[in-house]
Amino acid sequence: MNASPSNEPVDVLIIGAGASGAAIAWSLTETRMRILCLEQGDWMVSSQYPTTRKNWEAQQFGAFHVDPNVRGLEADYPVNNTDSPIDVLNFNAVGGSTIGYAAHFPRLHPSDFRVRTLDGVADDWPVTYDDLEPYFVQNDRIMGVSGLAGDPMYPPKQPPLPPLPIGRVGEVVAGGFDRLGWHWWPSDAAILSQPYEGRDKCLNLNPCMSGCSQGAKGSTDITYWPQAIRAGVKLRTRCRVREVTVNEDGMADGVIYYDADGRECVQKAEVVIMACNGVGTPRILLNSKSPQFPDGLANRSGLVGKNLMFHPVALATGVFEERLDTHKGPNGCCILSKEFYETDPDRGFVRGYNMQVTRGAGGPLATAIRGLASGDIPWGPGHHEKFRQRFDHTVQVLAVCEDLPEECNRVTLDPELADSNGIPAPKITYRLSENSKKMLAHGLERGKEVMRAAGAKEILETPLLRPSGWHLLGTARMGTDPDRSVVNAWGRSHDVKNLFIVDGSVFVTAGGVNPTSTIQALALYIGDRIKANLANLFDD
Amino acid sequence: MENATTASACTEGQLQRLSALLDTVLPASEDGTLPSAREIDFLAYLREQAPDFQAELIGILDRFDDNFPDLTLSRRVDLVRDFSGSDAAAFRRLLFRVYDSYYQNDRVCAAIGARPGPPFPNGHSIPAGDLSSLEAVTARGKGYRR
Ligand SMILES: Cc1cc2nc3c(=O)[nH]c(=O)nc-3n(C[C@H](O)[C@H](O)[C@H](O)COP(=O)(O)OP(=O)(O)OC[C@H]3O[C@@H](n4cnc5c(N)ncnc54)[C@H](O)[C@@H]3O)c2cc1C
Repeated sequence: MNASPSNEPVDVLIIGAGASGAAIAWSLTETRMRILCLEQGDWMVSSQYPTTRKNWEAQQFGAFHVDPNVRGLEADYPVNNTDSPIDVLNFNAVGGSTIGYAAHFPRLHPSDFRVRTLDGVADDWPVTYDDLEPYFVQNDRIMGVSGLAGDPMYPPKQPPLPPLPIGRVGEVVAGGFDRLGWHWWPSDAAILSQPYEGRDKCLNLNPCMSGCSQGAKGSTDITYWPQAIRAGVKLRTRCRVREVTVNEDGMADGVIYYDADGRECVQKAEVVIMACNGVGTPRILLNSKSPQFPDGLANRSGLVGKNLMFHPVALATGVFEERLDTHKGPNGCCILSKEFYETDPDRGFVRGYNMQVTRGAGGPLATAIRGLASGDIPWGPGHHEKFRQRFDHTVQVLAVCEDLPEECNRVTLDPELADSNGIPAPKITYRLSENSKKMLAHGLERGKEVMRAAGAKEILETPLLRPSGWHLLGTARMGTDPDRSVVNAWGRSHDVKNLFIVDGSVFVTAGGVNPTSTIQALALYIGDRIKANLANLFDD
Repeated sequence: MENATTASACTEGQLQRLSALLDTVLPASEDGTLPSAREIDFLAYLREQAPDFQAELIGILDRFDDNFPDLTLSRRVDLVRDFSGSDAAAFRRLLFRVYDSYYQNDRVCAAIGARPGPPFPNGHSIPAGDLSSLEAVTARGKGYRR
């Protein structure tokens, strides 16, 4: 094994430089501890993002695809999705999946933290919305969030920047919501509507999910990381962690990782923080077997990898006579509706969903290719007529449904598939619950209803969107009971007192909104708990 | 097909079949505003943006007989459909390339109302949109539970 001399032990070792890893690195800088982050990917170069190139659309189907199995880049690891109707999506680089996210930036709602008390299902979180509120505010400021205050579906909040333009498309769909008397509101977005802290405002390029050339989208490589690095955090890229190691006392004492040249290296640390996301973190914990932890690290509860939650998505696409310019403006952020967010027993399911209105099917190539795949836009003589009806004339409303935790939905290690370093790939075993199926069906019908009310002349249905594993949650859940959770209320493993988890794995329930704002607020909260408990960090 | 003679890798027969194949998968629009894909310099696109596809393209062209270009459009459509049925993956790759070259073309972009070239740095402007009906939304009062 090649333990290079540069690998001096550190105080805090963070694994993963994505949404949560960046936030906690920044948070811990004031401790002046020696903090190192190992990240399997590299720095992105914004001048090389697809939207700077003629073939910007084609790249979204290749090196900038949202699915790591399609991208297949060196930084990626394969994911076995064959036992799941939903594919896991991610991005592996400094910034993690925020490089590829749409930056729709809602917070979980207060009720999301109290689902057992309010609705008698799953479990309450050991933290509340009010506990996280100051961290939401702090995170909004650092990521640069645009939005409109006053949404009656939330306790009062004030985004630091005014909302992004909703455009004609937003107006038209809002008209549908208004006609039905349903709630709607402009999306909060981690995208700048105005110049902010040295970053320029959004240019409405559209494909936010292949990286933002303008730097208006708040990915953590341009928000948290520069600040954390200036404050002394070291970030070592192209280092893929294979396992977390333990000493004879059962405490984590570092990791084994592969560097850019494929050499096996050792990094020792006093504290290890996992931030590899809801699939990457259980993968590494399950791969960290030792005599003390034969079933994987921090897994005495047997829950590491279990309770995987996505946000299953049903999609209604409205086709409008009017040209709506839907290939312009941030793809994922326009308006939303929380009309069906809170539980109503008359609907036949518990919990609810967020209706997210997005800006169409993308540019011309994406319109043609996706239309071909769905059978909607043919090749040959009928192509142009159908293409003209679709391009810039379609709007999508997504029902982003709350998934409840179930132990049968899980991440395990694939016995055969492995990444380029030979580390076993994650295998996803997932099925939709009856509750989720009912919610999806309800969401699809309501999506169609709003499209009709908005004046769509035709509506296309997608009952379940397969490439929708954007949100990876629940696989190392928080809780107070060590038999029923993996980490405590501030992210510390019940079994290994110097091991923390700060990514989406710790979610107890999924809520019905995109999770990154909450993931980062939690990471900041955990950072503050670590700082507050430094003197007795490892005590019971 | 313009500039077809620059395609040193293709025989004359292959070039003619390519031209007919392009015209089959994307013929000109009936109103004449959108060109046939045969009018786009597909080979220049391949050289510049997808050189790896050239060898596969030749293999695809050789699946069609020499008389393919002489057939009617509807007959060519039938034959291309046969090809798509026999090798769906290869057909999808071909279509992806044809569409990609087509929808980057200036004339095509102008006809569909898209600006050619990369979106950055010019970007797009979009109207702020009317938010006035939010007053009615807020008037309905608080909608969250604690
Ligand atoms: C296409 C797409 C669109 C999305 N849109 C939205 C949206 O609009 N709103 C929203 O809230 N969320 C969205 N998301 C989800 C959002 O990106 C994630 O919720 C968020 O990034 C998760 O943060 P994280 O810290 O848990 O993990 P990530 O941000 O995924 O970071 C994990 C990091 O760990 C690294 N890593 C993993 N394993 C190892 C290892 N073994 N060794 C070293 N490094 C490792 C990875 O390379 C990665 O950089 C989207 C995601 C995708 C893919």
